[in-house]
Amino acid sequence: MNKFKKYINNVNISRFRFWFQIFAFIIMVYGGFLSIDIGENLPTFSCPYIDKGGGTCFLMGLQHRFTLPIDQLISFRGLAVLTSVLFFVSWFIFFNKAWCGYICPLGTLQDWFTKLRQKIGIRYSNYSEAKFKKLKKIKYILLGLLILIPIFMANSIPFIGKLSHDWAVPFCMICPGRTVLPLFQGDASQLVIDYGSKTKMIFTVLGMAITGMFFAGAFFKKRFFCFFCPMSALQFIFKKLGFLRLIKDGTKCTKCGDCYRACDMGIREIADDIESKDIIKDDCMMCFKCVAACPEEKCLKVNFLGKTIYEATEEGFYKRQKGKK
Amino acid sequence: MEKERFEKVRKHVRSEAALEAGDVLNKIKDNFPDNPEGMNYFYDLLSRQFSEGILPKNGKKVIGTMCVQVPDELILAVDAIPIRVCSGSFPYDNAGAEFMPAKTCSMIKAIMGLFSVENYQKKFDMLVIPTTCDQKKKTTEMLTDMGYETYSLSLPSRKDNDNSRHYWQNSVKEFAADLMKKTGKKITTSNIKKAIDLKNNARYEFRRFFNLRKKSPSVIYGKDAFLVANAYFVDEVESWTSALKNLNDELEKRVNKNFSIVNQKTPRFLFTGSPPIFPNMKIPLLVEEAGGLIAVDEVCSSSRLLYDMPAYDEGALYDMIPAIADCYLKPCTCPCFVPNEERKDKLANLIDLFNIDGVIYQSFSGCQLYEMEQKLIGNFLMEKGIPMLYIESDYSKEDTGQLSTRIEAFIESIKIKKKSDLKGKRATK
Amino acid sequence: MKYFAGIDIGSTSIKIVITDEAEKIIAHSVNATGANFHKNSMAAFNSLLDKENIKRDDIVYIASTGYGRKLLKEADETISEITANAVGARKTVTGGKVKTVINIGGQDLKGISLDEDGNCGNFVMNDKCAAGTGRFLEMVARTLETEVGNLSNLHFSLKGVPAVINSTCTVFAESEIISLLANGHSHEGIVVGVHYSIAKRIARLIKRIGVEDIIFFDGGPAMNKGLVEAVENELMRELFIPEIPQITTAYGAALIAKEAYEEEAVHA
Repeated sequence: MNKFKKYINNVNISRFRFWFQIFAFIIMVYGGFLSIDIGENLPTFSCPYIDKGGGTCFLMGLQHRFTLPIDQLISFRGLAVLTSVLFFVSWFIFFNKAWCGYICPLGTLQDWFTKLRQKIGIRYSNYSEAKFKKLKKIKYILLGLLILIPIFMANSIPFIGKLSHDWAVPFCMICPGRTVLPLFQGDASQLVIDYGSKTKMIFTVLGMAITGMFFAGAFFKKRFFCFFCPMSALQFIFKKLGFLRLIKDGTKCTKCGDCYRACDMGIREIADDIESKDIIKDDCMMCFKCVAACPEEKCLKVNFLGKTIYEATEEGFYKRQKGKK
Repeated sequence: MEKERFEKVRKHVRSEAALEAGDVLNKIKDNFPDNPEGMNYFYDLLSRQFSEGILPKNGKKVIGTMCVQVPDELILAVDAIPIRVCSGSFPYDNAGAEFMPAKTCSMIKAIMGLFSVENYQKKFDMLVIPTTCDQKKKTTEMLTDMGYETYSLSLPSRKDNDNSRHYWQNSVKEFAADLMKKTGKKITTSNIKKAIDLKNNARYEFRRFFNLRKKSPSVIYGKDAFLVANAYFVDEVESWTSALKNLNDELEKRVNKNFSIVNQKTPRFLFTGSPPIFPNMKIPLLVEEAGGLIAVDEVCSSSRLLYDMPAYDEGALYDMIPAIADCYLKPCTCPCFVPNEERKDKLANLIDLFNIDGVIYQSFSGCQLYEMEQKLIGNFLMEKGIPMLYIESDYSKEDTGQLSTRIEAFIESIKIKKKSDLKGKRATK
Repeated sequence: MKYFAGIDIGSTSIKIVITDEAEKIIAHSVNATGANFHKNSMAAFNSLLDKENIKRDDIVYIASTGYGRKLLKEADETISEITANAVGARKTVTGGKVKTVINIGGQDLKGISLDEDGNCGNFVMNDKCAAGTGRFLEMVARTLETEVGNLSNLHFSLKGVPAVINSTCTVFAESEIISLLANGHSHEGIVVGVHYSIAKRIARLIKRIGVEDIIFFDGGPAMNKGLVEAVENELMRELFIPEIPQITTAYGAALIAKEAYEEEAVHA
């Protein structure tokens, strides 16, 4: 048992994650060809715009369900919203935010861009601390809008009236998942500007622009898009329910910042917060690179239902650093 | 005439220094039982340092460093030899006292004495001094004035924000560039990777050593542990690492055989504050001769020296050099940083890990930073209920009598406390 | 009968205390240390035994303390004077808890704070320098051509204002006193000035460990009532002075000897 534990703790988690992500990517993007359908309400960008994907992203359904007059929303039809959230949560709690780090195809795609940049030998860029603090709020604004806009489509607002149906699924319209992921099935039909109406045109132009930014951003900045992802914000609300946890023992921490260096999301608290035990922050995607980069015995741990499945060790750290190319 | 006088001084100071080193080494070897075989390498090395000098003769460039914050990896990457020149020698301290202000700390005086008495201008290609404390800073200028090639490595006063982190990363990058210019060798991904691995191997063995010291009752005295780390100042990394590996293997056997050098009742101390550097082993020796054991330390000449390890994410210079820089800044608990809360956290952690009964805090007279931080640390430890003995001293031996009384009284008070704690435990049972 | 001996070999005098099993002092002596402390302490010890008719074999355990403690091979145990002083002071005072001990020795000044259980908590000592110690008072007496024992009388017979002595350094104070004498200051005024300068130094030292009642003041100079008054005024607190201020440390050593003896008996 101890030997097995040691083997696990010495493991090169980045390599494991690389293959796991490929596997998840195939399921999410090509699942339909293999007659796999995991279902709706998935807490990840299994984009419904992919023709034969392996599941459906929760955000799309959520936007549809909120297109209801208020009186219906608070009556029994609101129950449908609740049950969908329940499904979402029950998917979510298994992997917690590791849905982002290990499964999300859009995240995986960004990691591939990072790999490409590394191969070419171009330096990464980073946000300053102040910018970081500002940018991380955007995802909550997006989350708010993607709920409010559908409500305003079904309910009249003073002076403006109801929003037209062109406002449907507003987040999907600007999400790079809609434009990019179908490309992997050779489907470029989402890469168009819809001149049907002014609103549609603005949305699709915005979507194209964001897609462009997505490609450029992901190349220079690790996990560029994830800072803005409303899914990440939504998940964070339920993080306390997660079975999978990232645990820190602050008394063992020397604040060396090795974990912070490794963090693709640039989460500073992972190094500097020595009070919190549950160290998952809203930007965290639970890739566990920090655990692999921590040189302090048992300082950072990955727990599943309270059982430690992976933890920082001196030996593991040393072996991984030595094995780096 | 002047030259002749100078020669005479040099000869005198050198012989005094060798005498002092020999004397301390004999005490370290003869006054204690069960010295590990593996320590002989380190004893020999340090005795050679003072009898023959250990400056390498292989034609490689030699870079002198002061303070733990100098990133050796860069020096190793350009195939030069880093030698830490912080000195613990009283005769050199005396020589420095001739022209240094009276309230300078002994270590600075000893360094200045060393470089004024010895004509090292041609032997060191560069002396790298980080801007840690005020005395080290001015030392840089004084050494330049004496004809040495110096390099002031600019260190921020804070370590807790991104500004200072980037400032330091840039300092280190600049240093790397200047080193390349100086040595005419390029730092590449492959040679820096080799240097990091080389130093990480040393760090790995050092951590093993550190972990072996956790065993209670202990398998090795603190005086030996200080020497091991001190030897790293002047030794080549590879040979030092393999010597420490031998020692570790031997200590591991001791652990497995349940063999220890002291008994369960021996009070275990944590040593912190100004760094003991061979041959200034005054306080550690007084403590261990009086029946205490320095189980672990938190000083820049020992535990702080090789504990922290860099982690780079991408194997390219743009990530490796900042990673090296980070590991010398963020976890460093030198009192030149404000705030320095990490030092308290580290002490608290060491007290738990090493089963510590009391703390010995040494401060060199004239080292204001350690003197002032003493109050903060003292209050912190008092709250935790850990007794601390504060000693202000220098390299001279004249206060040995008084100090030994104080140290013995401290050890006695801890023994009494341990005894009554034990009684209390029995009573509750 | 079993007896225990504590021998305190100080820089100026050798103090010996012999206790019985009830921890009562049954004999004590104070002798000059002289040049050969080993010989002199054994001579003092033997003469005390002779005087009190105690057989050497009845002394079952000897603890030595003070600067010369390690040189006394006859001792079964050596203990630092700080611990011994704390133990002795704790036992001497019966009507309450000693929290602070001030000791002026021949060549040093010590302050010890005791915790709730009477164990030595924190302590301070003057380092390297004999300023304001017993030696200093001896120098003052010599300069004023009087005896150390007479300083107290001079202190209390002052009419008028005391002189101000700035230095407690033996070397500088001596020249300061000489110039004060030359300026026509009275001996009494100078003695009071000296006592206050020592008292100030003690107060400064003691404040580093915190002052709490009961304050126990011992060591030879504690016999000087004038100095006691000065220290009390500087600290603005009352001091507890033991009956024989010189022997507290030796008494503490004897108590520790008894404890060590009993512990060995348990293990044997």
